[in-house]
Amino acid sequence: MIFKIDPSNGLAIYEQIVRQVTFAVAGSSLIPGDLVPSVRELSRELAVNPNTVARAYRELQVQQILEPVRGTGLEVTTAAPKRCRQDRIKLIRERLRSVLSEAQQSQLSETEIRELVEGELKKQSSKRKSR
Amino acid sequence: MNTVFQFNAVSKRYKDLVALDEFSLTGERGKVIALLGENGAGKTTAIKILLGLLEANSGDASVLGMKSRTEGDRIRKLVGYVPDNPTLYEWMTVAEIGWFVSGFMPQFNYLNQYEELIRRFQLSERKKIKELSRGMKAKVALSLAMAHNPSLLVLDEPTSGLDPMVRREFLESMVDVAAEGRTVLLSSHQILEVERVADSVAIIKQGKLELFESLESLKQRVSELTITLKNGRPDLPHIPGWVISQKKQGLTWQVIVRDFDFNMLEQVRNIADVSHAEMGVPSLEDIFLGYMHGDAGLPTGPPSVSQSEQPVADTIEGDTQL
Repeated sequence: MIFKIDPSNGLAIYEQIVRQVTFAVAGSSLIPGDLVPSVRELSRELAVNPNTVARAYRELQVQQILEPVRGTGLEVTTAAPKRCRQDRIKLIRERLRSVLSEAQQSQLSETEIRELVEGELKKQSSKRKSR
Repeated sequence: MNTVFQFNAVSKRYKDLVALDEFSLTGERGKVIALLGENGAGKTTAIKILLGLLEANSGDASVLGMKSRTEGDRIRKLVGYVPDNPTLYEWMTVAEIGWFVSGFMPQFNYLNQYEELIRRFQLSERKKIKELSRGMKAKVALSLAMAHNPSLLVLDEPTSGLDPMVRREFLESMVDVAAEGRTVLLSSHQILEVERVADSVAIIKQGKLELFESLESLKQRVSELTITLKNGRPDLPHIPGWVISQKKQGLTWQVIVRDFDFNMLEQVRNIADVSHAEMGVPSLEDIFLGYMHGDAGLPTGPPSVSQSEQPVADTIEGDTQL
């Protein structure tokens, strides 16, 4: 999997790493038994502080998405896919909620919001097909 | 010993100009500490005093238990230092300058490590320094600074004026140094880079330490509010929390505030003249600019909850054009 970090997107960098691992597991690009890069490797690859990567990995271990394998590193747990799919919905729901509340506060009507969402969804799926 | 470097109430004056004013800062092992501040805020002065290249008027600094004032020579042999404008002997080749510097270094494997770094940075050993581009020169300076595995690497605006590729290599090197449990002291204007690599951020304003805090805690505790007013109210109503700076654009205010929560957001939304209030996570750049513009003072422990004691920053009239 390829990690991508944007320091200015408002989410803490460690949180971005946690999410990307979560989404990768939910979308099966990381499967149980897969090893994630070492702290050293990933921090170098992303050019982010190694303590930040270590923190993300700790968080993922607490959530039982990653577990240490003796001598080799951290691997994706068997329980991870289910957990990550749930987390993915939760995280996206939160984002959606904040966008929707912004839309409402900007005085858009429900119909207008619905049209916007539908329109964007269509655009996204046609983009995906053309790829 | 966990303290790698320390400033203790260091002051420095150049004639009438106060460059550093009772500046104190402690750097711990394995951390990347970033110095942020405007040009002329005192960052380079602080670094030079730490390395014994400048003498403080009062206060003292030390590196690994050695006094900067009297043991500068020893300090500079153990520390890696890339100045903001490295001067290298232009007539030497890349290989020669490594050999030359190794003569001053007590570490036996300096030259081997230097050659390894030169290879990693894809520099040609036979090229003369004067034939190198700015980015390549910077990489030579970095190699010279890192070849003895220093326990402290000091970088003074290392990437200013360099292209993104070289900047990235500098970042990767810093990350490597930190991953080995060594310490980096970095002065930089590249706030996005600092946000990637720093553990803690020290903001210097006119020679004084304005803030020293871990990036994590800063990001957790500082919020950005966007407040839109109605009824033509020109001034911002009282905002709970610790206001760092406030900026006006038309009827909308951008407020950088510490220790603000959702309950406080509800309070603000319930103020009669407030039509809209949102709370977001500011970028380090917003936080930095907030501290530079505001007058929030140095946080000394958890700020007081009582409203009368809250320091309120000066109002800055933002650009009113929309």
